[in-house]
Amino acid sequence: MERNEVSYLESRKLVKRWKGPWPALANSLFIAVVFYITWWIFQDPRGIMRMYTPYIGYMVCRWLLILFIWVAYIFDFWPFKRAWLDRTHPLVKSTVIVAFSVAAMYLLIKVFFVDILGNYGIAYFNPERLTSMGLTEFYAIEYAAEAIMMFAAIASWLSPSWVVACENAPWQKLPQPARGFTIVTVTFFISMIVYFLTMHSHMAILFYPWQKFTAICPPYWEEFANTVSGNFHIAWIMCCTVVVWLYETIWERYPFNLIKTNWLRRVSSFFGIIAIAVCLAFFLYYCEELAWGPAIRGTRRLMAPDWRWLHVGEMAIFWLCPTLFLTFYCNNWPTKFSRPVNVIIRTFLTAVIAVVVYIIYYKTSHLFLGTQKGFSHPQQFPMIPMIWLINIFLINSWFMDGWPGWKAVPKTAAEIKELESEVVASDVKWTPRFAVGLIAGLAGGVGVYFMIINFIPWFSTVYTIIH
Amino acid sequence: MTEEKDKGVSRRDFVKGAATGVCAGTFATMGLYSYSPLAKKRLAKTQRAMKDFGVLKSVKITNISETSWFSNANLMGDIHKAGGLLVNQYDLNWPPFGNGKGSAQGSYESGIATIKDLIPHDLEKAWEIQEKLSLHPENAGGYSCLIEVEELNGKKHKYLLDTGWSYKWTDAAFKREGIDKMLENHEIEALFISHEHWDHFWGFPVTMKYDPTIPVYIQDGFYEEGLQYIKDSGHTGPLHSYTDAVNQVIPGMAALKFDVPIINRVFGELSLAFNVKDKGLVLVSGCCHQGILKFADLAYRELKYDHDRFYGIYGGLHISPFEDWDPKYDDLVISLGKWGFEKIGCNHCTGHLTAKKFIEAGYPVIRGTARFRSSSPDYLGNGDTITFGV
Repeated sequence: MERNEVSYLESRKLVKRWKGPWPALANSLFIAVVFYITWWIFQDPRGIMRMYTPYIGYMVCRWLLILFIWVAYIFDFWPFKRAWLDRTHPLVKSTVIVAFSVAAMYLLIKVFFVDILGNYGIAYFNPERLTSMGLTEFYAIEYAAEAIMMFAAIASWLSPSWVVACENAPWQKLPQPARGFTIVTVTFFISMIVYFLTMHSHMAILFYPWQKFTAICPPYWEEFANTVSGNFHIAWIMCCTVVVWLYETIWERYPFNLIKTNWLRRVSSFFGIIAIAVCLAFFLYYCEELAWGPAIRGTRRLMAPDWRWLHVGEMAIFWLCPTLFLTFYCNNWPTKFSRPVNVIIRTFLTAVIAVVVYIIYYKTSHLFLGTQKGFSHPQQFPMIPMIWLINIFLINSWFMDGWPGWKAVPKTAAEIKELESEVVASDVKWTPRFAVGLIAGLAGGVGVYFMIINFIPWFSTVYTIIH
Repeated sequence: MTEEKDKGVSRRDFVKGAATGVCAGTFATMGLYSYSPLAKKRLAKTQRAMKDFGVLKSVKITNISETSWFSNANLMGDIHKAGGLLVNQYDLNWPPFGNGKGSAQGSYESGIATIKDLIPHDLEKAWEIQEKLSLHPENAGGYSCLIEVEELNGKKHKYLLDTGWSYKWTDAAFKREGIDKMLENHEIEALFISHEHWDHFWGFPVTMKYDPTIPVYIQDGFYEEGLQYIKDSGHTGPLHSYTDAVNQVIPGMAALKFDVPIINRVFGELSLAFNVKDKGLVLVSGCCHQGILKFADLAYRELKYDHDRFYGIYGGLHISPFEDWDPKYDDLVISLGKWGFEKIGCNHCTGHLTAKKFIEAGYPVIRGTARFRSSSPDYLGNGDTITFGV
């Protein structure tokens, strides 16, 4: 396999510029500075552009995320030439690609959603239409931004899923940009279906009277989720977004990459990610009940089921930050054990760090990021700073080749050949002892779960995050 | 040698299987158990403290003003222009803290400096100055109500809940309802400030104009600017800042504190609960940012009240204050009926749309007279009264 037969990200190897922890420290500092400066310029309610309204800022950071994924994963950096990517300085390269992504995002939001869909399809995508029908301008913009943002939330799960789980099938042999446009079109189409199944009813009951002729009102999930709010779907969809990246990075596509049959592996991965995400969503919801007590339907904030579901997605996103950091800047540590052992250590480690990040965030964000004090508020959206940070991780790792701590060098032919053999994991085999271990592990997993759910109520009584 | 190698391989396989199993088992249990009825059973049952905070004969509430602002478009336009709902309220450049520098360029210090010498004795002049320096001064109204409580022995008490926003509007509303005289005569025993928001608190000098010695009750979520404003307004009486969740005021009356984040950098709300003999519990709020059901739930957990029954509600329920909507508000409309309130005297930030939906759902909403710039008879308006008990 030649270098130009694999994607740009697969064709390069990131090499540390200095020995020891210095590259990771330098990049952490660089990312922190970029994060805070850009946060202040674009998002901070005390800063310059103040897009954290919150939905405008949320829409922008979600769509930037999806654009970055499209550029790097789906289009393999098309229309940029491989030679240009190889020789251009990371700072120049990242500036050009980010500008390109921002322009594409603007076209999508303004032209496709607001002007085309909002004028010729569904009114709530166009704030001016809503304002002209009597809505306060601020809320008209927020409603439209929420709807547009939800497309990105769904697409940011489905688009990488098609690459990570479905391995670009059945279009993996298509050249760019045909492959990119095909996968974007297909995932966008599926996103639209998922949107109509999950969020359209939520939007329909934003207006009085309920838009019963155009949407299912009250929504079908009302009894199960104990709310009519579409936040119920945000919970599992956000968990899907997170699990896709867990699966791609710290899990190294394990365990579904044990399946040798291509179609079975791809289908299992795609639906397996959803199943794991749903499990995670239910668990995180239960954690909230254990910490704060059962939700009370109809109330607001911390005790409301709609916010509890939203917060499930918020908690999940806290897990993504350490996961990407471990992969990008710690070489996916540890790597010296067998794949399952590496996976379990990384899973445990990133989950613990996620809890620490969660605590630090809620202790400091009011002062540091200008967000609302407390856990639950319509204007306290940890997803925005977390995704903003993730976007910077992606820019740094994908578009800047890890500058300043790392540099890209071309992979050798042997290293590229390894990629091919990595599709199916060869280091884990089904043996009788593996089966015994698996059964023992399953029992242990049940034990771990009950340890956690016994720990949370105790911890919540002895430790207060926000006084 | 081969046997040892086999053992090693065998042990490694076991560990690989075990590691895989732990992950699979944990996630599977998360999915199968966490949202099941069994999991619900593990949750701690509500422990009711049943604190006996006494009982009283009746509560009468006069709505001095529920119209906090007159144009949603102007209010939200100003907030939007300044950068959204998280921008510090003192930076918005609204009266009485306007400094003439425009949207989002305000501050407590620069605003108060323009009127400090005039409050509370010359509020007309102070407001005139602010009309020139601030954004949309004509949009400012305010929220305030008079609470008259009668104990079982016939003893009567008067309290103010909140003190409006616009000096001009609040002063006029006070005069219309005779509050000015009651304050001057020290008939009103205390002023409770529900929270630090502009429309409930920034008219503070109006109360000070008539009675600077009045005891003031706030909660510990107030920011530095708010505490300074109390001093700068000439308050000379006692200032109590509640830190506990439940605080008895007199027999049958309690102040409940909620640690709740609120838009435009405000934190915490204080609400009032009354135990009315033979009727049940009455909940009175300024804005009720904590949510009326959270309010009811805390009362249910902590307090003992007649017939163990929720009886009445008065005040802003903060559901659709800007006539905005969210599906979670429908959760309230759908579920409020289960709590059994018999008299719902909502207004202010409840929103007309919410009142309309309550009425459509068949809830006992007390209608108003739509006077003094209250815009709808769907709920209790300015000058309207409601009585709980007797």
